[in-house]
Amino acid sequence: MKKPVVHITNFNLKFQDKYVLKDLCWTINIGENWLLSGESGNGKTSLVKAIANLIPNYGTVEINFNPASHLAGVVHYVANWYQFKDLEGQSNFYYQQRYNKQVASTTNSVGSELRHFGQQNQLKPDTLNPILAALDFENLLAATLIELSSGEHKKLQLIKAIWLKPQLLILDLPYNGLDSASRRNLNLLLDHLVEDGTQLILISNETEMPSSINRFAKIESGKLVETAEMQHLADLFTEVEKPLPAFFGKKQWPSVKSHLIKMIDVNVSYGDKKVLKNINWEVKAGEKWALQGPNGSGKSTLLSLICADHPQAFANNFYLFGNLRGSGESIWEIKERIGLISPELHWYFDPSATVWQSIVSGFYDSSGLFCEPGYTKRLQADELIYFFGLDDYKNTLMSQLPLGKQRLALLGRTIIKNPELLILDEPCQGLDQQQTFHFNKLIDELCKNGTTLIYVGHFESQLPDCIEKRIVLENGEVQAIENILETVSNA
Amino acid sequence: MANYFNTLPLREKLNQLGVCDFMDSSEFLDGVNALKGKKLVIVGCGAQGLNQGLNLRDSGLDVSYTLRKEAIEAKRDSWKNATENNFKVGTYEELIPTADVVINLTPDKQHTAVVSAIMPLMKEGATLSYSHGFNIVEEGTQIRKDLTVIMVAPKCPGSEVRAEYVRGFGVPTLIAVHPENDPQGKGLAQAKAYCVGTGGHKAGVLKSSFVAEVKSDLMGEQTILCGLLQTGSILSFDKMVEKGIDAGYASKLVQYGVEVITEALKQGGITAMMDRLSNVAKIKAFEISEELKDIMRPLFQKHQDDIMSGEFSRTMMEDWANGDRNLLKWRAETGETAFEKTPAGDVKIGEQEYFDNYTLMVAFVRAGVELAFETMVDAGIKPESAYYESLHETPLIANTIARKKLFEMNRVISDTAEYGCYLFDQACKPLLGDFMKKVDTDLVGKNFNEGKDGAVDNRTLIEVNEAIRSHQVEQIGATLRKAMTAMKAIKTA
Repeated sequence: MKKPVVHITNFNLKFQDKYVLKDLCWTINIGENWLLSGESGNGKTSLVKAIANLIPNYGTVEINFNPASHLAGVVHYVANWYQFKDLEGQSNFYYQQRYNKQVASTTNSVGSELRHFGQQNQLKPDTLNPILAALDFENLLAATLIELSSGEHKKLQLIKAIWLKPQLLILDLPYNGLDSASRRNLNLLLDHLVEDGTQLILISNETEMPSSINRFAKIESGKLVETAEMQHLADLFTEVEKPLPAFFGKKQWPSVKSHLIKMIDVNVSYGDKKVLKNINWEVKAGEKWALQGPNGSGKSTLLSLICADHPQAFANNFYLFGNLRGSGESIWEIKERIGLISPELHWYFDPSATVWQSIVSGFYDSSGLFCEPGYTKRLQADELIYFFGLDDYKNTLMSQLPLGKQRLALLGRTIIKNPELLILDEPCQGLDQQQTFHFNKLIDELCKNGTTLIYVGHFESQLPDCIEKRIVLENGEVQAIENILETVSNA
Repeated sequence: MANYFNTLPLREKLNQLGVCDFMDSSEFLDGVNALKGKKLVIVGCGAQGLNQGLNLRDSGLDVSYTLRKEAIEAKRDSWKNATENNFKVGTYEELIPTADVVINLTPDKQHTAVVSAIMPLMKEGATLSYSHGFNIVEEGTQIRKDLTVIMVAPKCPGSEVRAEYVRGFGVPTLIAVHPENDPQGKGLAQAKAYCVGTGGHKAGVLKSSFVAEVKSDLMGEQTILCGLLQTGSILSFDKMVEKGIDAGYASKLVQYGVEVITEALKQGGITAMMDRLSNVAKIKAFEISEELKDIMRPLFQKHQDDIMSGEFSRTMMEDWANGDRNLLKWRAETGETAFEKTPAGDVKIGEQEYFDNYTLMVAFVRAGVELAFETMVDAGIKPESAYYESLHETPLIANTIARKKLFEMNRVISDTAEYGCYLFDQACKPLLGDFMKKVDTDLVGKNFNEGKDGAVDNRTLIEVNEAIRSHQVEQIGATLRKAMTAMKAIKTA
């Protein structure tokens, strides 16, 4: 019998004195494609990183490539995180940076990044084009890395991996930030790879997956447990029944009939490239909106105008909280009234802040904490930390936490000041369906007091119940503005 | 035009040199009000110009840019930077007459030309802002008596000024009002509002004077910041190659070592930097840095003397008039050094290894920082100023070396700093000739602790620690760093 592709024995992993993985064993035979699911922080990412030889090994990990295969004899790991460097080798970016234009380009272009990757791995340029086409990436070759949205960065990572055709491909939360068409096409591309001999390990909590997945597992008490099908896991908010911290109820937003946001023929363009075209949109106080559209349709740019992160706000007929933008208000006065979370905010957030500092920084709209909060603010932070079940991680650095826990801390940061306007751009990225369900319940609860909401999510099924209206963008234009309350309640 | 400083009586010289107050945050409670509704027109749209302008506008101020007609017509980078971020751009004639505050953020060398072009266009009672005092102090430019002249100088590159602002913080900033030009007494209020507009008030603001800023800035950049880092890097590299250390390794150690070493300096001063060494290595580094201080003291003093007397700026302006003959020659020579031409090797050097294998650089940095600080303070500059212009800026310059070596450092810093750096480097290398003959690979290239048992004499160690910790630069540094609460750790991996 042929040797297994991956053979792991007695794998151990500790986090802060506690064993996360203990004497774990796992055998992956030829022809097997695994889906690994489970709650955040149970060691999945560390386990697959060890297979990819990216972290020190705390057990025996044996990899056997097929020498006869025409595929690259490598393990390729597509991280749940992306990192890139500027031309000077630094990676000190801020999430608003892609909106500030500066002639001297500081990062590589997508095209030259891909060329470099191809040369490094001796890949044929012509095999790249079908992948680019399938993921709708052909128009982005001239863009620089800093200009890409989070979904586009994710695609770039995946394009490289698929182009490489490794014998073993590990994908850690690959669907994050991808629209439904891209998810479908990604699964097709992965199935093609498998037909060609690649084997997959997929970490995901989504119900969609490539049809070639044929083995399922979860991690239980530090061991790998094979399951018949995908596991729906236990709740990440361990005690769902906890009441919402009392301070949320104290603030009531007046049900003003005025416009919180009013855009009249708003345009955003970079050189000849139009990113938003003649957007007309009004959001009244207390309304709950969903903002939808495929990757690259302009959603992030639209939100960046509202969050005072985009300089072209100054050149448009655009009213925010009743004032024309650029009439003497500071961005901090605007940000004070908004609670924001987005993939970009998460990606560029200060990793050297602790969970507690990160949550408190929501009061000041800063990335990291720069001042001493007063007594009430400390108290509110502690209540939220308890509510989210983060007590054990209060003083842990963000960089040392798994993605899902980081996301929870940042969700706490978003709501801590109980803002008038909540902007949730894919808030549940990295959480599974059940976690998403509970988070959306929380949002429903929070929004009862007249909070205005703009929620970006790729699937209608994942929206909070309170959503009543929808704006859909496509190619930078408003494709639809409609009421959706009825359809949700009928369903 | 006469050197402004040299026209002053001694009393006034001492008076203006000895200004430096660390401002309490309560001084900034009025926010940007002193500039609210005023027309701010920025001259120049490079890295400082663009990023400061973005911050000021985001703070609710009315910002536009003025560029020379040719720059607008040719759609140069400065024009694109401004228009693509939706700023209004116009010629001097169009915008300067409407400006309440004109912010000059052009390179030093252009100041005389720029100021003489815009001054006649400025409206009665307006304000002219600088970010460096060279033009006023050394070139002696006289500004119309009805105009207010202020200085606001963020102590970081433009990109950092923006990055820290949007993170919700700021960068340390130095402000000043020119005593000859404050007819309405509004200069300080406007400078403070400007600081709030760029976020500087959150990271610590020093109230200085044009004179103190120029005389300390020139001294710092010529000696420790650029000059000594250049000399030390080249000598270290050459020594390693001479002694048979792999050139790729040597190149990497020197290129990144100074950044890793000065990161400790940034976080906790010379004490923290020295504490990264083992006890044996610390005592050795202390001893050789004392020796280095004795050797280099006369050179540091000569630089300070020439800066004070105006001799430095006179010779540099001569070179400007000469089409930068010396500057260009020295720049080319720097590009040709073996260190510059040897790419960093593909070897992994751990963070601690940069200290253990590069003890010599730790000694250079301690000697240079302390000497520059002492020489400035002896010359009448306040310790706070001297701290910023020596210890505080060293890690920033070290970052530029880590990016693309010395040629890059000299490209990024101002022409004035670059000129002074070469001047120092030319004189310092021969001065250190005998010293370097004694240096072996235990100090540079190999682990100093290798083959030693690590034992030290208690009393020696106590004395060395005491000498390091009780230095004035450490005491003032501890106070100032506390104000910069959230200094970001750079990634040294």
